[in-house]
Amino acid sequence: MKRFLLSVALTALPSLAASAQEAGDAIRPLTLITQPEAAAPQEHQAAQIIADAWRKLGLTVNVRPLPGQEFNQVIWYERQRWDTTTWQMVGRPERSDPDELTYNLFVSANAANGYDFVGYNNPEYDKLAQEQREELDLAKRKVLLIQAQELINHDQPYGFEVHPENVVAYNKTVWDPASMVSQAGIGIRNTWTWINVRPLGAQQDVILNSVAPPTNLNPFNISGQQGSWAAEIVWDRLMRVGPEGLPEPWGAEKVERPDTLTVNVTLRHGMMWSDGQPVTIDDAVFSLTAPDIGDKAPMYKPFVRNIASVEATGPDTLTIKLKHPDAAFLVSSLSKLNLAPKHVWQPIFDDLKNKPQTAESIQEEHPVSSGPFRIVRASLNQEIVLEANPTHWSPPKIHRWIMRIMPNVEASLGALKSGEINFLADYTGDPQLLQDLAKSSPNIAVSQALDLGFKFIAYNERRPPFQDVAFRQALSALIDRTLLAEDAWGGAAVPANSWISPALAVWHDQGIVSRVPGGNLEAAQAILAKAGYALVDGKLHYPAGVKETTAPYH
Amino acid sequence: MARLIADRIGHLLLVLWVVTTLTFLLFRLMPGDPTLNFLSPSFTGETRAALLHGFGLDKPIWEQYLIYLGQLLHGNFGQSFLQNAPVSQILWDALPNTVILTLVSLCLAYAFGIVAGAFLAFRRGGLAEAVAIPVALATRAAPEFWLGMLLLALFAFQLGWFPTDGAVSPGGSLGSLGQRLLSGDFWWHLCLPALTLTLFLQGLPLLLMRATMLEVLNDEFIVMARMKGLSRWSIVIRHAARNALLPVVTAFALGLGASVGGNVVIETVFAWPGIGRVLVQAVQGADYPVAQGAFIVIAFVLVVMNTMADLAYALLDPRVSVGARR
Repeated sequence: MKRFLLSVALTALPSLAASAQEAGDAIRPLTLITQPEAAAPQEHQAAQIIADAWRKLGLTVNVRPLPGQEFNQVIWYERQRWDTTTWQMVGRPERSDPDELTYNLFVSANAANGYDFVGYNNPEYDKLAQEQREELDLAKRKVLLIQAQELINHDQPYGFEVHPENVVAYNKTVWDPASMVSQAGIGIRNTWTWINVRPLGAQQDVILNSVAPPTNLNPFNISGQQGSWAAEIVWDRLMRVGPEGLPEPWGAEKVERPDTLTVNVTLRHGMMWSDGQPVTIDDAVFSLTAPDIGDKAPMYKPFVRNIASVEATGPDTLTIKLKHPDAAFLVSSLSKLNLAPKHVWQPIFDDLKNKPQTAESIQEEHPVSSGPFRIVRASLNQEIVLEANPTHWSPPKIHRWIMRIMPNVEASLGALKSGEINFLADYTGDPQLLQDLAKSSPNIAVSQALDLGFKFIAYNERRPPFQDVAFRQALSALIDRTLLAEDAWGGAAVPANSWISPALAVWHDQGIVSRVPGGNLEAAQAILAKAGYALVDGKLHYPAGVKETTAPYH
Repeated sequence: MARLIADRIGHLLLVLWVVTTLTFLLFRLMPGDPTLNFLSPSFTGETRAALLHGFGLDKPIWEQYLIYLGQLLHGNFGQSFLQNAPVSQILWDALPNTVILTLVSLCLAYAFGIVAGAFLAFRRGGLAEAVAIPVALATRAAPEFWLGMLLLALFAFQLGWFPTDGAVSPGGSLGSLGQRLLSGDFWWHLCLPALTLTLFLQGLPLLLMRATMLEVLNDEFIVMARMKGLSRWSIVIRHAARNALLPVVTAFALGLGASVGGNVVIETVFAWPGIGRVLVQAVQGADYPVAQGAFIVIAFVLVVMNTMADLAYALLDPRVSVGARR
């Protein structure tokens, strides 16, 4: 199975050409949905390249850009309607453990309205995904994850494109390059850098840019990608994903797992809220249970769904009982849930009981937190200003952390050059421009790091012919990943054939990208011919006897 | 006159009601709902339903409309979905920045346009006209974002004279309106966006003033002034220019209304925290209440300025009157 596609490419010789009598119906025009060029230029260009390649098989492929809101609505909530689409999974610290994507993306239980939006269904995969989730032994779990990646390589529920690289830049005369911390799959724009970065001169403020404005900041709201950069350093968590991608105790001094369903936590001694009150074990219990109070914290509820109970077992200790074994719990839940002060938030939750509002909508006038930074001001259309918390047990080396909201990417580049910002954290432009800037400005250092996320083409397996493994294998064989990485992503990406990024070297199946032919028309034609597809008058037809019963996308 | 005023106010209210209704429907006719813009699709339907309930978007559309109109009549624009702050507060924070940017730019553009237009009319057929008219037309026709980027590249990136974005330096606070007006930092940040808008706006008053001046300079009272032996300066400034100003002043009132809503591009290029930028972010994030509020404020300013220009015309020119009396 490992080298299934490659072996097919090398050995299969049957021809696609056939007469109309020997073939089934012609395949209907297929629609490849993507985002508009202005919103996602790289994805849009990749879709055009891939559609061109697929047309060589005798398919009619229409590329259809949809604006953001409609794009999400159609793909996620109208699952019977579309043929194929570009999509992405973004890198987040909690995805440093592969469980979330391994389980959610491909397990058939998530096909109806969960993450398995392509409708992939393979009981063999379901079993592997469940086993890796319950396996706490790293070596045994890795074996299971390698098997899962090989199975997906065979079935090709997605046409994987690339793992993008995060490109950021900073002023190296302001910040000590040696104090930048690179986090696996994230790069240097991360919590560890904000805490450890050392100023070289009088400038003590990190001034970074954000292209998009965040939503309001509170411990029960996920404030978008950019907002979460601030939230992560304002509110402590019991654990954090460390630079190596593995969970490390943070607000907890110690975390132990005596069995697969029990987690014992010892709270770090001496932590204080910004209003001067101590962080207690009751606060920790509250933080782990509050998201499950009614529907008042829907964004965080998924992260506590597997918690059966949380009990304080001493002045500094608590025990969490899980409903099901969960190898990734320390990353996916304990490194995600913010510590929130019970004396502030319990009355808020009580007040919300008879109101339609949820906790996300609460904006405290003076947010109470315990993290390494505190909120000074959050003008969400302009900037977020945080100041270092000098009493924190891991105090930052900088004075302030200021995030400027700058929708104009070109202006951000200019601002970095002129010194108005000293950390270009959010850059969606051409990576080459940034490299050129670094060459012409000796003060600027560019940092490029492989992301945890990936870009892909999703095949809707609810609609023929995408339910056919051979058809998906053929389409995937035509995706020239190297070309996409170089042309569409300007070299700031590497070819992908797995949902586990090479940045997670512990879990990634080394060499899997070479186990799918890339941009290989002969291989794709051979796969289709072997499966009975036929080329009639330049149009690809189903195997003999198969009728086209699916309406084209409108 | 009273009837004219009542008629115009009636029109104003009708236009505002239509704008309000269209704005309400516009966002709701888009596929999907606002949670799709800020909630990862990985969240369950349960999460989405809870948030929609919190926003009041699970109610029938007619009920949402009635609630919306009722709240609007009480001056309540609602609560922002994304920022979770009252819309009126978000708009009130942004509006002064837009008004300052607009007023400063309009005053500069019209001051320059009036003087340059009068001068070009007076020196008709000269080298100055041959150069100035194409330049005025080019800056008038150039897209604002292009003009803005050009000025950014030159004055901010290359020369470093002005900041690239925002209304205050990083970490600084905008403060009250009074503090803003007294802040050198604020005015320094205003320079490039105001210059861009000024360049964009100056074409209209310049060409209008020139055309009107050319007409006025051929009038009999100017010939009479010449025959009386008045100086050229006195003829141009005291007699011709004053008479040519009326259409330019009317254009100023209309331009003020249009510019409040038309600064969207400039505010985005320079990250100027005005109402245009609030509108762009709200539309991108499907933040219905903020987008509706911003549209209504912009429409209100535009319609009020149009009405005022209309009334001013009626006041200055008795030939303009209500249709029924014609």
